[in-house]
Amino acid sequence: MPRTVRPKILVVVGVVTVSLAAAATALAGNGGFAPVAPVSPNAHAIKQSYLFISIFTIAIFLLVETLLIVFVIRYRRRKRPRDADGAQVHGANRLELAWTVGPVLILFVIVAFIFVKLPTIQDVPASAAGSRNLVVDVIGTQFTWQFRYPNGVVTIDQLRAPAGRTVELHVTAPDWDVIHSWWIPALGGKMDAIPGRVNKTWFKGTQVGVFQGQCAELCGIYHAKMLASVDVMPAPEFDSWYEERLGQQQAGTSPLGEELWVGTCAKCHGLDGEGGYGPRIAGTDLIKNTQSVEALLRNGGILMPPVGRDWTTAEMDALTTYLKDHVGNQG
Amino acid sequence: MATRAEQPPAPAWQRGKVAGWLVTVDHKRIGILYIATAGVFFAISGFLALLIRTQLAQPDGHVITGNSYNEVVTMHGTGMVFFVVVPILAGLANFLVPLMIGAPDMAFPRLNALSYWLYAFAGLIFCFSFLAAGGAANTGWTAYPPLSLAAQGNGQDLWILSLHILSISSAVGAINFIVTIHNMRTRGMSWMRIPLFVWSIEIYSWLLLLVLPVLSAGLTLLLLERQFPDTFHFFRPEGTDSGGSPILYQHVFWFFGHPEVYIMILPAMGIISEILPVFARKPIFGYKAIAFSTVAIGFFSLLVWAHHMFTVGLPTYLSIWFMLASMVIAIPTGMKIFNWLATLWRGNISLDTPMLFALGFLSIFTIGGLSGIYLAAFPVDWQVHDTYFVVAHFHYVLFGGSVFAIIGGLFYWWPKIFGRILSETLGKWTFWLVFVGFNVTFFPQHLLGLLGMPRRVYAYRDDGLWHAYNLTSSIGSYVMGVGFLCLLAAIVRSVHGRRVGNDPWNADTLEWYATSPPPPHNFDEVPYVTSARPLYDLKRRLREAESA
Repeated sequence: MPRTVRPKILVVVGVVTVSLAAAATALAGNGGFAPVAPVSPNAHAIKQSYLFISIFTIAIFLLVETLLIVFVIRYRRRKRPRDADGAQVHGANRLELAWTVGPVLILFVIVAFIFVKLPTIQDVPASAAGSRNLVVDVIGTQFTWQFRYPNGVVTIDQLRAPAGRTVELHVTAPDWDVIHSWWIPALGGKMDAIPGRVNKTWFKGTQVGVFQGQCAELCGIYHAKMLASVDVMPAPEFDSWYEERLGQQQAGTSPLGEELWVGTCAKCHGLDGEGGYGPRIAGTDLIKNTQSVEALLRNGGILMPPVGRDWTTAEMDALTTYLKDHVGNQG
Repeated sequence: MATRAEQPPAPAWQRGKVAGWLVTVDHKRIGILYIATAGVFFAISGFLALLIRTQLAQPDGHVITGNSYNEVVTMHGTGMVFFVVVPILAGLANFLVPLMIGAPDMAFPRLNALSYWLYAFAGLIFCFSFLAAGGAANTGWTAYPPLSLAAQGNGQDLWILSLHILSISSAVGAINFIVTIHNMRTRGMSWMRIPLFVWSIEIYSWLLLLVLPVLSAGLTLLLLERQFPDTFHFFRPEGTDSGGSPILYQHVFWFFGHPEVYIMILPAMGIISEILPVFARKPIFGYKAIAFSTVAIGFFSLLVWAHHMFTVGLPTYLSIWFMLASMVIAIPTGMKIFNWLATLWRGNISLDTPMLFALGFLSIFTIGGLSGIYLAAFPVDWQVHDTYFVVAHFHYVLFGGSVFAIIGGLFYWWPKIFGRILSETLGKWTFWLVFVGFNVTFFPQHLLGLLGMPRRVYAYRDDGLWHAYNLTSSIGSYVMGVGFLCLLAAIVRSVHGRRVGNDPWNADTLEWYATSPPPPHNFDEVPYVTSARPLYDLKRRLREAESA
């Protein structure tokens, strides 16, 4: 082959590789080839970063694997004797320099892209006069998520949020608990819930719907069942729910008791209190005695963590009432 | 050249078939003991892996309970990292390093035996911890507090004890390797002429020596706080004045844990650098670049630990530092991959089993390296951290990387170790089953992670894609299991395998100059070394002398 042709071939191969990589990246739909469809600006920017990196990784992948396969086929032994020497080439400084500098440039471009996207991912959009940020405390305990809203409303395992408004999350875990990790893939990256530490993250739902997630840090026996979801609602709908729920909570008619039961107690004691990892509690005397239940929840038992130590009175009352009405009477 | 004083013959009781192995201080026998023991642990940890995949074949499987699942995950990870990959590399290095540098044994033969027996003892404690009150450790191989502080029973304590003993074993072994490589090289074997596998063991040993004490310190603190919770507050933040921090443990653990990854992969890369040139009939492309990239990877591996901690809420400047440092490692790693590819270029390639595994390593490790870039870019890591994407990534690196290289290395050096070759037919079956099974098992796990499946869960969302990918992954793991049965069959049959002489692969390095298997003192005489390929030089000189 004449020498002048080679660079052209290299250019063609390069262009084909990069365009294949770009096409593959663009086609990466929701089959798991790219992060799930984002519904928050930070998740969106993370996905863009992922796709941008993919252009280079797929191109390098195609290059390396193609060279590997071509070399193995082209230079296989065939009819040559087994011990015939190949070309005794010990190295080539220019080539080696090229594949040192090349990756440096690629990494430089990737890092630059990350830096450009970082503010969108990390910085909490400032509150505006028309739409104040909603700040919610997210507390991970074995094996449930508590959400505490500014007005005192508490929900368990499902966070409700107004669409189009920024929700700031203060993620933590109680001192006596273990590490958890807050993660709703469609709404952005993870943030660990660490005892004794408050980590901040945020999202802004751009689309109405319920988005699933779960704890992402091994936290014990029911780690796999520590699910969470975020219900992004139209803002007016959220506002009316928010007020209504507060009223219910004050009147003792909110579903908080049931949420606490399902989220906190039922994982170990069974949905009907029939027992499981923890002992059977349905119909026991203990359940009927509000004071001893409260003491147990606040102090913990032999194996039972003090799940209720940091609960508000509203939470404690909601659960004890629920227990009396629904679990205590069952035989 | 090192010479040895005439030693009195061993007393009769030490020469028995069993006793001979128990009291041996011969680096080759110790190497074989290491490899065999690690093989047993591989079978155990591999069985645990199949248990995991069987449980996850269904979204809400009932093969094992959630608690057992956490034990199995913990013991599989700990077993593979600490009791399989690192020791089997120590075993290969034990057998090969003295032979490769033309030495009669390791620098401290008795210390070498101590190091093996400590490993075996630690392994026994590790295995029997399943019988402890409360079962084996169940907090993951990382054992993050406060979870590991709250863990019931003694499984976690035995886990700590076994790793403490193992750390002593590895540290002693590392000192032995370093002293041996620095002092016992034969005449003419300068630093630029030692085999690349020996380079990798040099860096492996330094890394072990630098980071193991950190792990031991962290585990000691964990043990103290577990046993005396009222006295010590290192990691538990209970009460505002105690001053403990769970994050502290993570820093300590990963300062050890990340270099540990390179402790496992660098010698594997060394094995690849030995196999490729022999089966391509070429010198390695860019010896110095590969040697220095090994040093560079070792150095940078000490500076990147917190990329495992991007989600704990690090300050942005730290995240940026750990992103940049992690990406820098991609550069020497990329150099190696291209140097290996260039070694194939214009070669005379024979596709025997060791070469198949080396080529398999190249194709798979590339994927593992590339998926690492996503993890280094910390905002992207926030999305994929602690998911099956990470599980896929480190299996591509540690299984497709280290384990492929180790199996290739076993097929390559088996004729040297035992004088008999492993069946090529079974070898090829092993390769194709493991290669296909591996990709079927682990590729879908990238997708699961991106879909949102966290690691270390015994049950998952009953969603079509989640189930399909998990089931595919489980099927792949059984295919691999069959592949490893072929390997076992090859090993069993090699007892009566073909004898192939001292240098069956027509190799370049000194271990092939010794007889197969080598005598206790290794060499009667060692040729003067004039390049990184002493045996190649010798054979060429002989040919030239013949034709003249």
